[in-house]
Amino acid sequence: MYSMVQAGSMGVPFTAVRGLIGSDLMKHRPDFVVMDDPFNPGEQVVVTRPLRPDVAVFHALRADRFGNAITPGLREDLMMARAARLVVVTAEEIADKELGVQDAPHNTFLPAIDVDVVVHTPGGAHPCGCEGLYREDQVHLQEYLDASKEEETFRIYLDRYIKSGGGQREYLGRVGLQAGSGGVG
Amino acid sequence: MTGQTMAYTPEELMAVIISREVRDFETVGVGAASPIPAAGCILAEQLQASHVTIIILGSKEYYPFPTGGSELHFLAQRGELDLFFLSGVQIDRQGNINLHVIGDYNSPEMRLPGAYGSAMLYYMAHRVILFRAEHTRRTFVERVDFITAPGITPESVRREGGPTLIVTPRAVMAWEKERREWVLAAFNPGSTIEDVKQNTGFELKAAATVKMTPPPSEEELFTLRTTVRAKLGRIYPEFAGKKIQAV
Repeated sequence: MYSMVQAGSMGVPFTAVRGLIGSDLMKHRPDFVVMDDPFNPGEQVVVTRPLRPDVAVFHALRADRFGNAITPGLREDLMMARAARLVVVTAEEIADKELGVQDAPHNTFLPAIDVDVVVHTPGGAHPCGCEGLYREDQVHLQEYLDASKEEETFRIYLDRYIKSGGGQREYLGRVGLQAGSGGVG
Repeated sequence: MTGQTMAYTPEELMAVIISREVRDFETVGVGAASPIPAAGCILAEQLQASHVTIIILGSKEYYPFPTGGSELHFLAQRGELDLFFLSGVQIDRQGNINLHVIGDYNSPEMRLPGAYGSAMLYYMAHRVILFRAEHTRRTFVERVDFITAPGITPESVRREGGPTLIVTPRAVMAWEKERREWVLAAFNPGSTIEDVKQNTGFELKAAATVKMTPPPSEEELFTLRTTVRAKLGRIYPEFAGKKIQAV
């Protein structure tokens, strides 16, 4: 999976992965192909496709008007952003100055060149948490999990929280939170 | 059992057994949802392996990289991971592990969350210790329903390592490379050779000399319940609070 996303970020047509041969995964994954290693005769290796998502969405602590963004923690966000064709950043806060890598010592920096769209979305990680700002909403997550078991209950969930009009402010109101109050989660 | 009986949880016993397998100066990795090996590695670091490099997914203290989970994955793929830990909902006689489904793949009785990079890590870590807190005939089976990662691979596939040991609350089983199967290496305090065999769903031969696992020493238990419990609590708060006793 990491190799597939990494290949997507690199723009190569396929990539090689170690292991896998002998796993039953090979029976169910037409995108995993065994070939002879052209540089090591007698050795077999799996090659697979790059992953290029149409859209990737990242929730940021801060972003600026140019698209530079800081996402919480140290993850593969940059690799994933490069693999995706359209990159959307939702941000807790829009910075009034241009952000740089020096503003993200313990977080991940997404440079503007890899970001297409920025949306100011306080509380945007809800019902998940946003590291350092608010924790996940356990009660709402449970409601979501329960609702997602059946088509009908999930439709009711969507109608109630997502499709009932308004924007982020109204959504936060419906889940019992207020944007900018610090009380999210 | 020796004259002195010290009470400990099965998880504490497994962590202590695992800690004894960690060698000084090694690079060891612990994957997702693996609090027992995490405890074992941290315990080893406090005792005999103070120069060990520990990588624990989900930890800040034990994650010596600038980005996420791909770091451990690619480090292993480069052949630089000495020891890794895997589990399986089923583990079989030939060292195959199943982390995917119970039953048929297309209409499973139970579908599991996935295997992370197990189908690479099982090949590329130099040693892999399997751990399972449930030692029953439904977990240790003749043949897994789905081979997530195989114990045995053809010569044409690059494999740095593979199965080494299985650690359970009842026993330690060792991988016999020539025979390509597990043998009973040691039974744990409170268990017997018969008990282990009866609860294993494949025919388990005993090693030439089967010992009883030495019970956790006072030093091991004390360290586990103080320093290790505190450090583990920052990664696995619920496990550390419930399964590792407070002093």
